[in-house]
Amino acid sequence: MASDADLIGRSLDGDVDAFVEVVERHEAAVGAYLVRRAGRDAAEDLLGEVWVAAFESRRLYDRSYNDARPWLYGVALNRLRRYWRSRPAEDLVADVPDVATGSDPWSAVDLGVDARAVLRSALTRLKPEEREVLRLVAWEDLTAADAARALGIPAGTARRLLSQARTALRDAPGVSALLKDRNSTKERHR
Amino acid sequence: MTDELDLVGALGSAEPLRPEAYQRARAVLRAAMADPGTVRLLGATSAEDTTMEATSTMETTTTTRDHESSPAIQRRRRIGIAGRLGIGAGVGVAAAAAVVAMMINSPATGGTQAGKDSSAAASGSTTADGPVERAPLMTLAGSIKTVTPPAGDAWLVKATQVHGTKTMQVVYTLYTDGHAIYTGNSVQDIKRAIARHQDQMTDGGYAPLLEAAVAAADSSPADGRTQMLKAAKEPLVGLDPAAQKAVWDKQQAAAQVIIKQKGGNAEPKPYSPQAVQQHFDNALWTYSTQALSAGDGNTQVRAGVLRLLSTISAVSVKNSTTHGKATLTITAGPEMFGGEGSEVLTIDAETGMLVKDVSIVPGTPQASTTYESSRVTKADL
Repeated sequence: MASDADLIGRSLDGDVDAFVEVVERHEAAVGAYLVRRAGRDAAEDLLGEVWVAAFESRRLYDRSYNDARPWLYGVALNRLRRYWRSRPAEDLVADVPDVATGSDPWSAVDLGVDARAVLRSALTRLKPEEREVLRLVAWEDLTAADAARALGIPAGTARRLLSQARTALRDAPGVSALLKDRNSTKERHR
Repeated sequence: MTDELDLVGALGSAEPLRPEAYQRARAVLRAAMADPGTVRLLGATSAEDTTMEATSTMETTTTTRDHESSPAIQRRRRIGIAGRLGIGAGVGVAAAAAVVAMMINSPATGGTQAGKDSSAAASGSTTADGPVERAPLMTLAGSIKTVTPPAGDAWLVKATQVHGTKTMQVVYTLYTDGHAIYTGNSVQDIKRAIARHQDQMTDGGYAPLLEAAVAAADSSPADGRTQMLKAAKEPLVGLDPAAQKAVWDKQQAAAQVIIKQKGGNAEPKPYSPQAVQQHFDNALWTYSTQALSAGDGNTQVRAGVLRLLSTISAVSVKNSTTHGKATLTITAGPEMFGGEGSEVLTIDAETGMLVKDVSIVPGTPQASTTYESSRVTKADL
């Protein structure tokens, strides 16, 4: 199977369908990313803009990377920033979801309302750049290096930000108790 | 063992997009690939009804695109050169919107020439010859074939696109005397294209339009028009009036469905030979100027395009001077674009090569492309 980089190369050579194939590979992931950051209605409006922006900037894609997903998150984040700038504050979806709209019933960790409140509070105390890396790793399942690609920062910086974020989370009020409780519950059920 | 990443990860669960949202997003992408200049600023102007209409039409065309069609062939009704070079975003949008609006609901007044020959319009085989005011185009089309180019074996053309005060893109194109065309965003890109044998004349998205332009150089104006419209896969060309009406009504109905889905309101434009003639003229301008932009350094392409433009009633030609050099200014007026906006091409009066293209739409920044041409030797690039 051709890599994303190959398809983008073919797209630059005039193969119209090659870029659509890249999109089809990543539309679910990028769509979910947009939903998490902007809510479903806005995400549905933004997704096409993300593809257009990615298509227009594909010449800048570093084809030494086979997987385009981190790059597409970066493109999506740029569109989100434009969207956020253009919207009144009351229209924006919180960075950290307040309600578990359509939450995955098979999630590995089933959070209760109190746990969500604790985590939301902890996340809001992180620096924005720490939160950005953390989200990409925790929500989009990227490595720190891939998160760095998405954000256009050095990999070492992303690793440092992730480490800082994790440490801050673990030390945040309520989170360590939450982790202890979760893990001791698991122990009891073994 | 649960760690902090697991906890945060559980916060990120979200309901998926609806399937139609993915389809719609892909349709937007397809439209952008077919028409980058038109779509680029959709987001920025999405509050405008006209933008919605432009989107609607593009979606209509993309749903019917065939697998082999090039991006150029998928384009519809837009200021031509701006589209190929992706200029202008805002201007492209507004122009497309204006033209789509014309296609949908403006009265089919037509040009005087068009009105005189409604039967020809209906058959898609107009016998139009340019009147006196467009005669310089025919004259130049004939004379440029005999012009001997300066030393070298290729033209290198640098096209700089500016939208308002912002430079959007610089495109380099090499036209060899052997009729090959290589393009890219730098001379390095051109060298790469040469190494990969990516000759736009034969296998690029504009190849069918370039071929039609070359054919038009030695065809009658009517045949030239038909060839260009067929190259653009214009569905109405070559049909008898009854068949044209059927296709026209179907297209209008499809457009209405999409417009209504998007909450818009535009009356369908009734079929008439004059409306078809306007439609053909608009398409001919669009595709011919795209061919000119893509094939500017090819003498046959230029000659063919000049002959084609001379058949369009909404086109006027004036002598002009640009930086001390004799030029011709070719203007497609508002009637070409649904009542507002215009496109002005400036070409060298001796060679016919592009000097400047300006797209004007009221209320949007001016979009222009300036062309700098120089003779080079391919091997020395």
